[in-house]
Formats: sequence, C-alpha cells, structure tokens
Amino acid sequence: MSGWLVIGLMWAVTYPARLLGLSLGRLNLPPFWLAFLRFVPVSVFAALVVPDVLGSPEWPRRIVAALSGGLLMWRSRNLALGILGGFAAYWAARLAGL
Amino acid sequence: MVPFAVAYAVTARAGGLSVWETQLMSATVFAGASQFAAAGQFVGGGLPTVAGALGLVATTFLLNARHVLYGLSLSRSLPLPWGQRLVAAQFLTDEAYGVTVVAGPRDPGGLSAAFLLGAELSLYAVWNVSTLLGALAGAALPEPQALGVGVIFPLAFLGLLVPLLVDRVTLLVAVVSGVGAWLLGRALPGGLVIGLAGVGGAALGAWITTRRARSRA
Repeated sequence: MSGWLVIGLMWAVTYPARLLGLSLGRLNLPPFWLAFLRFVPVSVFAALVVPDVLGSPEWPRRIVAALSGGLLMWRSRNLALGILGGFAAYWAARLAGL
Repeated sequence: MVPFAVAYAVTARAGGLSVWETQLMSATVFAGASQFAAAGQFVGGGLPTVAGALGLVATTFLLNARHVLYGLSLSRSLPLPWGQRLVAAQFLTDEAYGVTVVAGPRDPGGLSAAFLLGAELSLYAVWNVSTLLGALAGAALPEPQALGVGVIFPLAFLGLLVPLLVDRVTLLVAVVSGVGAWLLGRALPGGLVIGLAGVGGAALGAWITTRRARSRA
C-alpha cells in the first residue's frame, strides 16, 4: 500500500478523535471507559517495546540498551539522555561481542 | 519533543519513507507516538502490505483515541465555537493539552482559545522543523540500518512509557501487555498483536481500578 494512502488513513482516524472530545463537553463517560482511555498509552507503548527487544535477532544487545536506557530515563526523567545512553550501551554491547 | 521528532524522522527514512512522506505525516497526523509506531512498521520491509497497513492504521486509532479525553477535559473549561473547534482539533496533542491546562489559567488573559491555539501552533512548528532536520540527517546517513538505528525505536517508546509507570497497576498493565504482545507475536501479524495487547492491557487496568473504586464505595 502506498505511503501517501497510509498517511491519509492515519490522519482520517486521528482527527475525528480530537474533534469528538472537543465537541462533547457535556458528556460524562462511564468510569470504566475513562480509565480504559487513560491506560491505552501504557499498554500500547509496552506492546511496542517488549517484542521489539525480545523478538529482535540482536536481542542480547537490545536488552542491554533497554535496561541502561530505561534506568537512565527513570533516574533522570530526561528522554534525550535516555535514548543516547541506551544507544551508547547498545554499541558497548556490540563492540564487546554480545 | 525535539529528540523524539528527530528519532522519528531518522527511523522513517531508514524504513524507506521519502523526505516528503516523512514530513507529510508530521504535517497531517501530528501525533508523535503513532507516527513513530508507523515508522517502525515500515522498517526493513519498505512499504507495508495491505494487512500490515490496516494494522498500522488500527494502532494509530487506538493510540490517538486518548485525545478524546483531552478534548472532553478542555471543552468543559473552554467551550469553543464550531470554527475554532475544527482548527483546534487538528493541532491538539498531549503536550498542548498539558501546557494549556497547567499554564492557561495563570496567563494574564486567562484560559482562552487564543492561548490554546498559541500553544498548539508553537508545538506544531517545533515538531515539523525537527522532523525536517531529522529527515535530512537521515538522508545523509549512508547505511542507517548498519549503524543500529533500529534500537532507537524501542528506546524512544521506553522513554514515553517510563514516566507513566506511577503505581503497581500501571506496572502490571505494562508487563502483561508487553509480554502478551511478545507471545502473541509468535503466532499473529504485528499490527493485530499491538491492537489486541493494547485493548487487553487497557481493559485489565480499567477493570482493576474501577473494581477497586466500587469496593471502596
């Protein structure tokens, strides 16, 4: 499928969600669905990270990168530092022959 | 936000998207996490198959469904007329919502449509300029795959995930969704797996928290 079409479809599912919320100020969602929407980033982000680390052909290096990067992010709360530190750890593991 | 935009653009370029396509996604979709998730699906195989593309669109929908919450919250304190709503919706993001809710009421002009649009458009400009820089830098790298840029993808999402792990329920949801997606991924295609693990994990978290609230009442 062409890149332009995929991008168009992604836009078509994103814009309505934004407009819908802004247009429904008086609506009260049930607590379950409010909580559900709040948990979606947690579950989706985890579902993107774990298979890409454990399922990768170079998984030992990626585990080193994810643990180092994750620890840095947790302690420093700094995204750029975490990504760069994780990438450095990946290369350290790769050069060490892991 | 700048490192995330640059990392997105480099990943998208490494996955075979052109500079134009990489930029177009930032200009239209304008949702960091889902853009990055999409860029990650392009990696290696070039353009996705129809099934892969639909999975990717489903992931985008699921991720951006949370924007309903920001809109709901904003429209209670800041009701907008139709015209402004149509514009504000295009540029609404996590960061714009956060800035508007926290800093808006402290602004001399108070929480207003002008403040919301100002916050949204500033973020839009930074995001798109950073995308362009990353896309051009990505084009200059001779062999991004050989440099190991693939590892940037899980690292960037880890950076978004870590601040969200604030209690035992969020940690449990992350572990169940992550390990669940890994196990499901051995049998099912990627886009579907993220959708299933995403819905399942969020439902688990919602079930635990609402059940707890009910037993307390």
